[in-house]
Amino acid sequence: MAPRNTRWTRAVDHLKREWQIYLMLLPTIVWFIVFLYKPMYGLQIAFKDYSIFRGVANSPWVGLEHFETLFSNDQFFRAVYNTIQISALNLLFGFPAPIILALMFNEILHATYKKTAQTIVYLPHFISSVIIAGIVITAFSPTAGIVNTLLGWLGIDPIYFLTKPEWFRPIFVGTGIWQEAGFGSIVFLAAIAGVNPSLYESAVVDGANRWQMMWRITIPCILPTILIMLIIRIGNIMEVSFELVILLYQPATYSTADVVNTWVYRQGLQSGQYDLAAAAGLFNAVVAFVLVMAANSLSRRFSRTSLW
Amino acid sequence: MAGVSLSKIVKRFGAIEVVHGIDLDVAEQEFVVLVGPSGCGKSTTLRMVAGLEEISDGELTIDGRYMNRVAPKDRDVAMVFQNYALYPHLNVAENMAFGLRIRRVPNAEIKQIIADTAEILGLTNYLDRRPADLSGGQRQRVAMGRAIVRHPKVFLFDEPLSNLDAKLRTQMRAEIKRLHKRLGATSIYVTHDQVEAMTLADRIVVMNDGSIEQIGTPMELFNNPVNTFVAGFLGSPPMNQITGKVTETGAQVGDTVIQLDRDLGGLAGRDVVVGIRPEHVSLQPGEGTTPLPISLDLVEPLGSEALLHARFGDDNLVFKTDTNGQIEHLSGIDTVHVPASLVTLFDAESGRTLRAGG
Ligand SMILES: Nc1ncnc2c1ncn2[C@@H]1O[C@H](COP(=O)(O)OP(=O)(O)OP(=O)(O)O)[C@@H](O)[C@H]1O
Ligand SMILES: [Mg+2]
Repeated sequence: MAPRNTRWTRAVDHLKREWQIYLMLLPTIVWFIVFLYKPMYGLQIAFKDYSIFRGVANSPWVGLEHFETLFSNDQFFRAVYNTIQISALNLLFGFPAPIILALMFNEILHATYKKTAQTIVYLPHFISSVIIAGIVITAFSPTAGIVNTLLGWLGIDPIYFLTKPEWFRPIFVGTGIWQEAGFGSIVFLAAIAGVNPSLYESAVVDGANRWQMMWRITIPCILPTILIMLIIRIGNIMEVSFELVILLYQPATYSTADVVNTWVYRQGLQSGQYDLAAAAGLFNAVVAFVLVMAANSLSRRFSRTSLW
Repeated sequence: MAGVSLSKIVKRFGAIEVVHGIDLDVAEQEFVVLVGPSGCGKSTTLRMVAGLEEISDGELTIDGRYMNRVAPKDRDVAMVFQNYALYPHLNVAENMAFGLRIRRVPNAEIKQIIADTAEILGLTNYLDRRPADLSGGQRQRVAMGRAIVRHPKVFLFDEPLSNLDAKLRTQMRAEIKRLHKRLGATSIYVTHDQVEAMTLADRIVVMNDGSIEQIGTPMELFNNPVNTFVAGFLGSPPMNQITGKVTETGAQVGDTVIQLDRDLGGLAGRDVVVGIRPEHVSLQPGEGTTPLPISLDLVEPLGSEALLHARFGDDNLVFKTDTNGQIEHLSGIDTVHVPASLVTLFDAESGRTLRAGG
């Protein structure tokens, strides 16, 4: 008799042979199911007139009503615009910062000095956002803050930075760089460490100086890493780190500071409009998904580098 | 005059000295091969010539100019690395052009040079490819091309063929030799493969443990090795070395006294190592040969030749003989005949070659 279901039997054989590997995979799968896929069930309230008393399943469907509400809401549009604005600034200044930092670290020849400098720059990453916000608020305070003190020496009157909408974005983006650039440079330092040293030796014999080696060898060699990080970054473009926004903004600066996530937070948790908040969150996720797919396929087409 | 001269060159890494005062003069257009076992300091020596390692002591001159403190780029040398060191993000043409672009050679000129060099190396059809899309041999050629386009005074090679398979290595070896004939540039070539050394070199430098054992043409080293190390290093299979004693009439090994064609006057009674090249014995007695009884272990046919693995006392010996297409008659061999003129004697204690009368 010919073997039936060969594909199935082969899969079983494979599982029998490699079961240890699948066992190791299991916790990750469980994590995904519990924390990412199960909550997706609740996403349906974006299309329902949700009330906590009726529950998710028993609330009546309302179709796209919440999305119509969203797209006719000026505050929501302002939040989308602010999110994109802040993310664009982050991409423009925050993305290159760790790369530049890594390249600079790479040029430090003195080992102890290099290690010390790196440790100092990594530190802010390990401080909680609450404390970071506290430091920023203190530093920019109009009375005792160091920034206004310095401005005072130059004869400039104190500025109430954190109440001025035009100052929110620079301060927010700058804080993000201060907090994460150092830690983010680790990935690029690792990539630099992976460059074959004989490329540099060959370039030295050919007459290249350090500057030329950086531009012609280091940067091209870590470009795949840069592109991968960029894809991830673009995928997160709708995800402005909203704890820090909540800690730093105030009603006076909503016009530039309120992002989708903070708006969702206020609508959902503070005003109890869970269904509307879910719709906004879903919108956010769909945009992010489209962006990351697009970035990945562009990168694959133009540089043969892609996440998947 | 683009000779390279090393005088009492020393290299220390921290407190450890790895090159112990090397003297070497490489003449213009000469092809010198540094050969020796792994870790003996070949690469370090080459890298000091390139300027990639600082010279701890001694003097290096290229073309008569004192070079110790000169930056690599100003030494006018080009180096080919073992792993090729090709830039993965550049295509073949740009890889070869790298050094020229750094030196701001005009574009039109670069184009011409690349085209000519690609022609010489047979890379014309691959100029647009990235290194990742080339075979090992092609990558090796690109690495050579990158050195050639600069027209340096001196070429330095650090085991350029060791990543290639045996067949390709033979082919590239011939190509390097042809290139050297054509370009006539002074070359220093590092390898641990003695066949490469023998075939490529004008002169071979045998290194061991940070020092030079002997310098000479391949045949000089083959015929007159100064010690057991050189004798054992060059030739394949290596020279057989049997411990023995000098007597009034020859060299005694086991119960056999091998007749020698030289006057051993002052040496009688001396402990020696008797060196016999595998290919120097014959299976038939001839004039001035001594029969050496052996017990045959194994016959390895190589085609036109065969290797005879045999035991003599406690020593394992290897002999090489022509087969004329047959090996059946070899299995019964129990004696080889050693010609008096082709036996080398080494002092048992120092390993140095004993010359007649000395
Ligand atoms: N940067 C270094 N620091 C300390 N010791 C080193 C360094 N580079 C080389 N050495 C030592 O110097 C000695 C010579 O090394 P070298 O690389 O010149 O050997 P080699 O003859 O080229 O060997 P191989 O055939 O394996 O390439 C070795 O013992 C090695 O351990
Ligand atoms: Mg080496």
